[in-house]
Amino acid sequence: MMMRILDRFEEILISVLMALAVALIFVAVVHRFSLGFAVDVVKWARVHDMPALQAAARSTFAWINSFKLTWAQEACIYLFVWMAKFGAAYGVRIGIHVGVDLLVERLTGTAKKAMTIIAISGGILFTGIVAWIGAEFVHHTWKGGQISADLEIKMWIVYLAVPAGSALMCFRFVQALWLYLRTGEIVQHDIGAVEGIEDDIGDFPLGGQR
Amino acid sequence: QDPIVIKFSHVVAPDTPKGKGAERFKQLAEDYTDGAVKVEIYPNSQLYKDKEELEALQMGAVQMLAPSLAKFGPLGVPGFELFDLPMLFKDRDDLVRLTQGEVGQDLMAQLEDKGIIGLAYWDNGFKIMTANSPVISPDDFLGLKMRIQSSKVLEAQFQALGAVPQVMAFSEVYQALQTGVVDGTENTPSNTYTQRVNEVQKHATVSNHGYLGYAVIVHKGFWDGLPEDVRANLEKAMAEASDYANDIAQDENDAAMQAMRDAGTTEFHDMTEDERAEWFAALRPVHEQMAGRIGADLIQRAYAALGIE
Amino acid sequence: MTALVIFLILSVLLITGMPVSIALGLTVFTFLFGFTTIPMDSIALKLFTGIEKFEIMAIPFFILAGNFLTHGGVARRMIRFATSMVGHWYGGMGLAAVLACAMFAAISGSSPATVMAVGSIMIPAMVRMGYPAQFGVATVATAGGLGILIPPSIVMVMYSVATSGMTVTGPDGEMVMAPSIGEMFIAGVVPGLMLAIMFGVTTVWRAWRNDYPRMQRAGWRERWVAFRKSVWGLMLIVIIMGGIYGGIFTPTEAAAVSAVYACFIAVFVYKDIRLRDVPKVLLSSAAMSAMLLYIITNAVMFAFILTSEQIPQALSAWIADLGLGKIGFLLVVNVMLLVIGMVMEPSAIVLIMAPILFPVAMLLGIDPVHFGIMMIVNMEIGLCTPPVGLNLYVGSAISRLGLTQVSVAVVPWLLTALLFLMLITYVPAITLFLPNLLGF
Ligand code: NA
Ligand code: NA
Repeated sequence: MMMRILDRFEEILISVLMALAVALIFVAVVHRFSLGFAVDVVKWARVHDMPALQAAARSTFAWINSFKLTWAQEACIYLFVWMAKFGAAYGVRIGIHVGVDLLVERLTGTAKKAMTIIAISGGILFTGIVAWIGAEFVHHTWKGGQISADLEIKMWIVYLAVPAGSALMCFRFVQALWLYLRTGEIVQHDIGAVEGIEDDIGDFPLGGQR
Repeated sequence: QDPIVIKFSHVVAPDTPKGKGAERFKQLAEDYTDGAVKVEIYPNSQLYKDKEELEALQMGAVQMLAPSLAKFGPLGVPGFELFDLPMLFKDRDDLVRLTQGEVGQDLMAQLEDKGIIGLAYWDNGFKIMTANSPVISPDDFLGLKMRIQSSKVLEAQFQALGAVPQVMAFSEVYQALQTGVVDGTENTPSNTYTQRVNEVQKHATVSNHGYLGYAVIVHKGFWDGLPEDVRANLEKAMAEASDYANDIAQDENDAAMQAMRDAGTTEFHDMTEDERAEWFAALRPVHEQMAGRIGADLIQRAYAALGIE
Repeated sequence: MTALVIFLILSVLLITGMPVSIALGLTVFTFLFGFTTIPMDSIALKLFTGIEKFEIMAIPFFILAGNFLTHGGVARRMIRFATSMVGHWYGGMGLAAVLACAMFAAISGSSPATVMAVGSIMIPAMVRMGYPAQFGVATVATAGGLGILIPPSIVMVMYSVATSGMTVTGPDGEMVMAPSIGEMFIAGVVPGLMLAIMFGVTTVWRAWRNDYPRMQRAGWRERWVAFRKSVWGLMLIVIIMGGIYGGIFTPTEAAAVSAVYACFIAVFVYKDIRLRDVPKVLLSSAAMSAMLLYIITNAVMFAFILTSEQIPQALSAWIADLGLGKIGFLLVVNVMLLVIGMVMEPSAIVLIMAPILFPVAMLLGIDPVHFGIMMIVNMEIGLCTPPVGLNLYVGSAISRLGLTQVSVAVVPWLLTALLFLMLITYVPAITLFLPNLLGF
């Protein structure tokens, strides 16, 4: 039950972060484009001597420009950093991380098993260390009190992604090792496919092969 | 006995004024301390990038930096945003009055809470305004998309001019100016020239409306731990290196201005006194707007030092 | 010596088959604990800041757009059109993939993003049309490298930025100016198109040799129908091209806009994806992006260790000491960049190596633009060489083939690229022709 909640949380978190980042940058582009359009109308009205239109466009411009989106880029970066750290943990669960498999694929029996255990343990070790030094780093930043330049949020909150994401990733590697020891299974994910979506390839190939 | 090592990291090329200043400091420091101190310089963000270096210093991973003054606001010393205020300094004498005076030294002292000792102010220079249409009077800025580095003061400055401030990654600026994603930007002549912004900007106004500078800082724990005589020698070396760096910054800006005028891709407008008054009137409200961040008291002290009002 | 230790640790870790990102990270930690005095905290900083760049964010955006295009019926219609045009050639779909990569490269500054955007559409389709997956992944992974050679290019920007502001002297003692971004971009056009053609030739040749399936030639009416159905997808090219060059948005923003547009047509125009399936596409794109960003983070950390151990610097001092001529120097630089390119990420290499190699090159009288394009081509090859090759990872992820299989599959195209590298290195006119013509 707890595990189901954790799984869902992980999935929802990274999907939402992705959606937010896209929406944010899209809105920022539309915002800037609208401003440019309003200014063009002002200039056009000025040339064609239409003071009413010019005034209207000017006030529209001022209204749109009162929404400040200079923080959008920074926000996008932080959203993606959080997505990357938690997404990497999710990636372990679904087996998305790529390795150089040329030797392991040629091994059999105990040697293969030992190698695989070493490989997964490497993941546990690395992510564990990162979680630990990341936590110290967050503590350090928390004491320093830095804020980000655009959003002006506390940097330690931003940096929290490193230890939190890595701790979760470490846990996922432990899970993977446990699964392997119990069943000998390694999760491999089909990345080309999106789970739950069947691609309708239709009437391919065109007119058949010759 | 092993020499004391000072790792001095910065984010620009070795042959910029900052890079040359660092080299001069290294030379003098090693001379004056008779080799008791060894300065290792890491230019070009080799070790730490713009966004990382302050944290690296606070953690003691490097001992010395020369970040731009705008970096100290987010660090928790918003008073440094004073230097970003538009139309605050008329000329370099004004600037020296502030940095060498009480205000400048007080600001440096505030860094100590952050585990940092401020040693010196180094110049980059005063900014010019560039765009693809003439930017002579404040009204010319209406609707222009102007690229800025992250700064609330600069954001307010362009809002006050009726322009649209855009924060943009450095590596995207050239192309964005070329295609017209943004219409203009502001920078010192030497930066404008070395970043080749003049190639993609038709107009420029030599407005000197704002200032760009650095502070040379050291890790407090490291500095306090140095023997008295070594510290004195390093201070002496820093004072001389600072004069040198500031002199060549001036030369560099003059040379860059000349080179850009010679290149002829940009039409330069030299601001008149009347225009300056116009800009001052348009931009002065930014000072009041930012008083809440920077501190009304600090701004008043700066005014007193500079004889404004 | 230090370099040897670092690369030995990395190799040992890599052969266990652990994820490359983890192997890179563990190498750094092993080295930190055992051999150096760099504080651990500064590594934590790199773990966060390694991907803290807006330009890198184009990768997740293009992955998302690619996923919507792949699963939203756009890919199906686009491939139909492409096939109807060149499907009757030997390896026609591969040829279409190379062309698509070249076109996409003209709107994207990054190679892995190009591989992702084109590959996620093309590779599954090619497999379904009866091509071996190895063939599909090889064409796209290598041709995707055009992303950093055909302008715009993030790596070119980095070269220009890394060398700008340097006062460097030529052989006669005169000052040499570093190339502007504009010059680099212009200089990339001809080499980019040339390499695209060479990849196309290789593709056709491989297909002819192996007798890969060919489609029946489509009639003009059929082609027109295919075009009309795919026009919503093709519009995206116009939107991105027009948007970037028309000054509406930056490349990264273009990536975000294309993701939104792709989502819109997939859900509301073609209706191949239901609205309630959108979260699934988001999730799968997030996972893929996270994997790539995780590698970049650890590659940056690895590069940091190399730099702080002064390994690149020692290399360049060594080269300068050899007293090679122009030809020998270029050869050594190529070999060195190819070797480093195997284990490091291009932007890190360019940012570290360009400032070191540039002064030596200028002293030998090599043209700064030519030297830059040569470095870019090396980077492009590096993206397709194991163990660290982002294009291979992306290709492997899309095709579901192992990294080894993908690495072997790209060999013919890599050899083509090496031949091209020799041409670029020793025939500067290929690079300098267009910039000179336009008066740069
Ligand atoms: Na490109
Ligand atoms: Na590689």
